[in-house]
Amino acid sequence: MANNRGQTAIIGIGEVPTGRHRDQGAISFALESALMAIADAGLDKNEIDFVIPTGSLFSSQFSNELATCRLVEELGLKNVTSNCEVFSGGSSSTNALRVASALIETGRARSILFVHTDKLGTGLSAQGGIDLFSTAGISMEWEVPYGQHYSTVAALATERYKFETGTTDEQLSAVCVSNRKWAELNPNAFFRTPLTIEEVMASKMLSTPLRAKQSNMLFDGGAAYVVTSAERARDLSEKPVYVLGEGGLVTHFAYHQEPDLTRFGWAQAGRQAFEDAGITPADIDVAEIYDSYPIYQLIAFEEIGLCGRGEAGALHMSGATAPGGTIPTTTDGGMLSKGHIGAGGSVSLLVEAARQIMGKAGPRQVPDCRFAVETAVGGTYMDAQVTILGSEIP
Amino acid sequence: MTQNDVRSTKPVPVVAPWARPFWDAAHEGRLILQHCEDCDRVIHYPRMACPHCSSTNLGWQPASGRGTIYSFTVVQSNAPSAFAGDVPYVVAVIRLEEGVQMLSNIVECNNDDLVCDQPVQVVFERLDDEFNLPKFRPVR
Ligand SMILES: [Zn+2]
Repeated sequence: MANNRGQTAIIGIGEVPTGRHRDQGAISFALESALMAIADAGLDKNEIDFVIPTGSLFSSQFSNELATCRLVEELGLKNVTSNCEVFSGGSSSTNALRVASALIETGRARSILFVHTDKLGTGLSAQGGIDLFSTAGISMEWEVPYGQHYSTVAALATERYKFETGTTDEQLSAVCVSNRKWAELNPNAFFRTPLTIEEVMASKMLSTPLRAKQSNMLFDGGAAYVVTSAERARDLSEKPVYVLGEGGLVTHFAYHQEPDLTRFGWAQAGRQAFEDAGITPADIDVAEIYDSYPIYQLIAFEEIGLCGRGEAGALHMSGATAPGGTIPTTTDGGMLSKGHIGAGGSVSLLVEAARQIMGKAGPRQVPDCRFAVETAVGGTYMDAQVTILGSEIP
Repeated sequence: MTQNDVRSTKPVPVVAPWARPFWDAAHEGRLILQHCEDCDRVIHYPRMACPHCSSTNLGWQPASGRGTIYSFTVVQSNAPSAFAGDVPYVVAVIRLEEGVQMLSNIVECNNDDLVCDQPVQVVFERLDDEFNLPKFRPVR
């Protein structure tokens, strides 16, 4: 496989605060984020020649509008050759970046705008959210009839992982606390008040051993980024965010088909991404790890090589992943504290990774941030996706 | 919502044509598994073609009905609407003796006593006139 290390770069990002914006339509979040990203990139809007929206889960009507060029018309983009949705649930960010990079590398597009928006906080009722996530990505024949939903999905991995590694509920809760400390520093995060392990442990039991405060909550929000060639990025931007490496592995559709619920496909995806990028996990300055539930942050963190098997819980407990720690992790607060906005969970993380490399992360800026790793996963943990970004090309 | 209303809204399996024999057998209280006549592998869930060798030369074999709990969870709250009346209920991934995994519920058990790798045995629970769902209970 040809190595495309550093051939493309993210040059602009935009994001609206995650929240409950009852009086605003999802289109507002999309347009606001897109305008921010285009301005941040230093581009004239008509230089955007390709638009990639991703799916919006709260409304199929609205999602269809995104697929049928509403953003191009609303933004008045005059030179767009193609508006083409890329949607794989929670891994949409990475898959869209992969598609965008390939289009640019092969000369089929010059400046690509990716946009995500959703309204899962106020566009659905609380029970509507639970019900949506008891069928989305879940087998209607082999799992739905047994009452499978996203809490059970996370709980099944957590129970087995605890059994195999001896990781404790307190260590799992430490993930929530670490991510909250970052969210306290992020104006775009929803939950910004301090959280303790005791509070997490005292929260309502959802599905053993998973508690309410170990579960993401659904919100409204949106984000966008602009990708172009590395060559053009150097002209346009003082600090291009180079796409250095990518790796992925699809392991299943139906969750019960996964042969190892404590590992998934991260090891292979991580190896590929680091090999592509020409760096090792020890070179990583910031890790933006998909955290819809604490278990997933621990597993991905270990499997891509940031620490050894069964060590991630203690590491999160030690403060190493929190502000001021040795391996700053999920620095936007993640889905657990910034809030879950559907496919936007990983979009937030990718945008945050780029923001850290650009040096624009404000009070949560990681000093001298050269290399960032971002992980994303869709469905019921169906694919392990790893992206490595950097301020320089190794 | 009464208990009956909850039951009447239970989701039923959306059956793929090639999986019909599995559900017909379950209706008769038998657990069967798909088997590839070419590469000799056991397959679950049933496929249109073998996921190992792509052969469409597929048959069926009776399953032992024995397995172990790979992982489990006791749902205590925030269940999907159709299952709200069932809490606490147990969702588990079962590793069957034949080497395949399936999702199911653990029934006829003390929820507090469940552990990973515990041996279980299939039982069938009536869902409606058409479907019996294979579920599992601890081996006593
Ligand atoms: Zn075969």
